[in-house]
Amino acid sequence: MIEVRNVTKTYGKKQSAFVALSDVSFVIPDGASVAIIGKSGSGKSTLMHAMSGLDRPEKGEVIIDGVDILKLKSKAVDKFRSAKIGFIFQAFFVQANESSFENVALPLEVGDLSAKVRKKRVLAALRVVGLSDKEKQKARNLSGGQKQRLAIARAIVNNPRIIFADEPTGNLDTVTGASIEKLLFGLNKQGGSTLVIVTHDEDLAAKCDMRIYIKDGKVSRIIGEVK
Amino acid sequence: MKTTDIIRRAGRSLKHAKARTILTSLAIAVGAFTLTIALATGEGARQYANTLLTSNIDPQILAIAKDKSYFEGGQTGPQEYNPNVSVSSQSGGTVKLLDQTDIDKIAQRNDIQSITPSYTISPKYITRAEQKKYTVQATTYDSGVTQTVVAGSLPALRTSITKAQIALPEVYVSLLGYSDAQAAIGSTVTLHLERLPNITEAQIQQLLQQNNPAAIAQVTATQVKDVEYTVVAVVGKSATALTATSNVQISDDSAKELADFSTEGTDSYHKYAIATASVKSGIDPAVVKQALVDQGYGVETAKDLQSLLFTIVNTLQGIVIGFGVLALITSVFGIINTQYISVLERTREIGLMKALGMRGRHVSRLFQFEAAWIGFLGGVIGSVVAVVLGTALNPWVTKTLSLGEGNSLLIFQPIPIVLLIVVLMLVAMLAGYFPARKAAKLDPIEALRTE
Repeated sequence: MIEVRNVTKTYGKKQSAFVALSDVSFVIPDGASVAIIGKSGSGKSTLMHAMSGLDRPEKGEVIIDGVDILKLKSKAVDKFRSAKIGFIFQAFFVQANESSFENVALPLEVGDLSAKVRKKRVLAALRVVGLSDKEKQKARNLSGGQKQRLAIARAIVNNPRIIFADEPTGNLDTVTGASIEKLLFGLNKQGGSTLVIVTHDEDLAAKCDMRIYIKDGKVSRIIGEVK
Repeated sequence: MKTTDIIRRAGRSLKHAKARTILTSLAIAVGAFTLTIALATGEGARQYANTLLTSNIDPQILAIAKDKSYFEGGQTGPQEYNPNVSVSSQSGGTVKLLDQTDIDKIAQRNDIQSITPSYTISPKYITRAEQKKYTVQATTYDSGVTQTVVAGSLPALRTSITKAQIALPEVYVSLLGYSDAQAAIGSTVTLHLERLPNITEAQIQQLLQQNNPAAIAQVTATQVKDVEYTVVAVVGKSATALTATSNVQISDDSAKELADFSTEGTDSYHKYAIATASVKSGIDPAVVKQALVDQGYGVETAKDLQSLLFTIVNTLQGIVIGFGVLALITSVFGIINTQYISVLERTREIGLMKALGMRGRHVSRLFQFEAAWIGFLGGVIGSVVAVVLGTALNPWVTKTLSLGEGNSLLIFQPIPIVLLIVVLMLVAMLAGYFPARKAAKLDPIEALRTE
């Protein structure tokens, strides 16, 4: 369960201060698929950063598995991200000159796993996203859809509790995008990890269990909330 | 994150930017090359100097002068006049001279086996029957020095040749009309000495009163002395010889006789700039040196000569090392620059790694290890090129500088080279510190912003 309570994030100081998030609260049950919807500049990315421990709002609590991650020390936050969070980005952020295997192995290296365990897990993750045959290929030689699949493999390889996907289909054509959506929702249903998609795409959002609309740093409405 | 994983990842990053990595490490390689050559030359020069000394000089030998200024190029500037002390001008300075009492006093010490003053011998020429006359320099035979004998034989170390014997340098073999060096052995050569007459006014008055022109002509004529010697050995040029090989060598006794003849009636009679003493074996020359220094003499041991040579070698080596360090400093800025650019280029990658929970410390280490790899590569390239080039050129250098067979100017030792590479890696890591810190401080949110 992810519990966001009265989170407020302000950028800048005094006169030039800009409130990116204002008193945001909601609860996401385990295993749900959630869309955070808003226009650019609405604060949806800031919310994702706060929920994933990348950013530190000055007020509020983000409680994940009973722990307020905003109160953790930076080392513990890093450890939390490494163990419990997976990221998928619009621009993929795969390392072009490294092989598929090395790309997927990165979170496990960060997580201090042995080479033997890494190999097993990386191969499994590549199999799940259907890139088993591209193991030794350089990421730059993959197509856009394959790159995003690789990013998904990297996001799931450490068996995270929550996967954050920031516009995962934004850079893909409709057909490829659809197959990536299918893969993401399929993993969400089978794996039991919570999927949080940040998007402005209503069609994609409609496929999620729960939709949180953000406007001007505030939650404007929540659809499908489990009370 | 495990250190081995970081090192491996650092190596991979460098492999992906091959041209940049190699160019940056080449800058270090220049420094490494210079330093390797400097180390090898220093070692080679020290070993050469050592060979030179051990094969030439009896360790029990002391060089003794009236005071220490002799070894410092003499006293410069006016000195207080002392009628009891003779001085002599030498290379711009004046040195006090040893007299016979000094020699006798030192000779009586029970730790001194023998003492030989350096006699001033100035023969006009050398010749032999039915041959032309040639100018010549004569020195005392030094029983403490090993020489290269071309023909004949010299006595063992610490034993001198006899009064009637002479050691001839190789150049005189053909000049004096010998068919070869062997032919010279046992033959007789003559040294011719001249001296201006040394007469007093009273003597002249007396002779004038006697009105004896023949006697006057006799005493005012130039005094001459011809001394015959048997050639005992022909001495050749040696690469590791310290003595000047164009001098003929005669025994102490003979030298004393010739010097006394030349200096009789002059200020220099029985005065010597320097004397060579041999310390009895089993007694430390340094102890004897101290005792003599306490009496006011200037004394140098064979070891002093060695340390003097080593000082020269070390100074020269220091200069070359200085240039190497200069090259290194330049390459440090190269590394800093390269790594800064690398951090900028890989902002996304760093942001991703940090988002995935990589500690800033580990990100910093990643970049420092990359710098260390560059240092390692530069060190290896530089030292390998130096060793290969040095080893290839060594015979040529030895020949050109005529160092003699078996001596090398460049001596490469593995341990200093390994240490050098380690130091270079540390220097590179230090240079990589600032870019690495920048990488570590990078905000992943900023780094991963797409728009």
